[in-house]
Amino acid sequence: MSDYTYQEPILSLRDISMQFGGEVILRDISLDVLNVVRPGVQQGQVVGFYGRSGIGKSVLCRIIAGLLPPTTGTVQVANPQRPVVPGDVGFVQQRYPLFNHRTLLDNLLVAAGRKHAPAEAKARAEDFLTRFDLAQHRRKYPAMLSGGQRQRAAIAQQLLCSEHLIILDEPFSGLDIAMIDEVKKIIMEVTTLDELNTVVIVSHDLATTTALSDTLWLLGPERDAAGQCVPGATISKQHQYNLAEMGLAWQHGIQARPEFVQLIEHLKDEIRKT
Amino acid sequence: MIKDLFVPNAKPRPSVFLTMVACQVLFLLLLWLFYPLQLFPTLREVLASFKDLVTTQGLIQELWASLTTALGALAIATVLALLISYLTALPFFRPIAYAASKMRYLTLTGLTFFMALMVSSGHQVKLSVLVFGATVYLVTGMTSVILTTTQEEMDHARTLGMSEWRSFYEVVVLGKLDEMLEVVRQNFAIIWTMITLVETLYQSEGGIGLLLYKQNRYLHLAGVVAIQLVILATGAVQDYVFEFLRRMFFPYSTLSTAK
Repeated sequence: MSDYTYQEPILSLRDISMQFGGEVILRDISLDVLNVVRPGVQQGQVVGFYGRSGIGKSVLCRIIAGLLPPTTGTVQVANPQRPVVPGDVGFVQQRYPLFNHRTLLDNLLVAAGRKHAPAEAKARAEDFLTRFDLAQHRRKYPAMLSGGQRQRAAIAQQLLCSEHLIILDEPFSGLDIAMIDEVKKIIMEVTTLDELNTVVIVSHDLATTTALSDTLWLLGPERDAAGQCVPGATISKQHQYNLAEMGLAWQHGIQARPEFVQLIEHLKDEIRKT
Repeated sequence: MIKDLFVPNAKPRPSVFLTMVACQVLFLLLLWLFYPLQLFPTLREVLASFKDLVTTQGLIQELWASLTTALGALAIATVLALLISYLTALPFFRPIAYAASKMRYLTLTGLTFFMALMVSSGHQVKLSVLVFGATVYLVTGMTSVILTTTQEEMDHARTLGMSEWRSFYEVVVLGKLDEMLEVVRQNFAIIWTMITLVETLYQSEGGIGLLLYKQNRYLHLAGVVAIQLVILATGAVQDYVFEFLRRMFFPYSTLSTAK
């Protein structure tokens, strides 16, 4: 197993609860994403985020991104930690929204311009176009891009103005094997851009996401002593999986290992129980 | 292939499509020429009347006068309607947009009297009636465009660190400007339907509406049809100009529509 140490927090959730019209959706969610440092490796990390459809994953993502204030609790980001505001956390939604009235280059410029002076913004936008293999499409409008190009553009746009954190909602949904490999490559590229870059992947594709992840969160309801579901989904301590501690992180071909297969089966069982 | 013309969502060859349009126009002309009941004046009568209207009654000048009035009213109504619609971002102004939209049910008869009390000249009354009539329809169309804004679109702008006003500007104002132009194009026709009414109220400035009114009053049906056809042709040219402007200024606008 690789050597690693945990340092300052990148993202902290404290006692997050959310209610809509008296209905408890999320309850008592507390967790931290810490900066993982590995000697000789400049790489951020990946968090896999699972849960059944309709359980509240999107709500939690919007809370983490600062788009929705929780009923109780706080979300803190950056170093030193401060309450999240919209723009701190990138959020690539499932349909990869871009500004359809702007060209691809303009889309990146408008994002880069939020944090940088015009000349610097231009340089960064051009750099990202090259890194994400989109340079030849810079003058195209989003409607002219393929699904994969649009996804890369949406990720690049969010990275240009977020504070190292980016949430990808269902990045593998409806993609073929070749495209999934392409997206995996992009995610790894994002994590290697900066030591602090952290990608949260919301997905139903357990095997693909777990193979990329350092940490897993499983959102679901808990049961009380009588076996009844407690209202509101949460991410309990036993549903926060540290794959580095389990020896299942940062390894090529991990999906073939029996421990990995066992973990996937365990996750499936846990999801079914919820 | 001809059978493509009757297959849902088929894409017939341009030559086939143009031939079909030419046949349909020819059919209408033949129907007009040979329909036994003679409900309409004959084509020959309409053409003769058109020539008379142009040479002796200044049809072109009257059309120009009406067109400039209509365009002036449309410009003012568009600015007003955009302002009212965009202000719906602020809850305080939402009742105004709601009320403005519902006012399209009002008939203009009677309203003109109040407008005459408020403004000084006949031209201004004419303009204000047209502006009022167009604004209430434009506000209805524009607010419904704004209401198509999705949570996803707004969230996207917010995740880029844009303030609420900046998000609104980017997503609603800039992002939907092409759709607003389409609303203006669709509702321009309202002004033409009102122009006869307002031009007969204040006859000193003339206009094609007044000309139509006179032809109708003296039962010059050939003249009525000729003027209606001129208005129809003007409307078709207007539509084409708006489409052209949309393609020129908003090239992205039709990229994702079904072809």
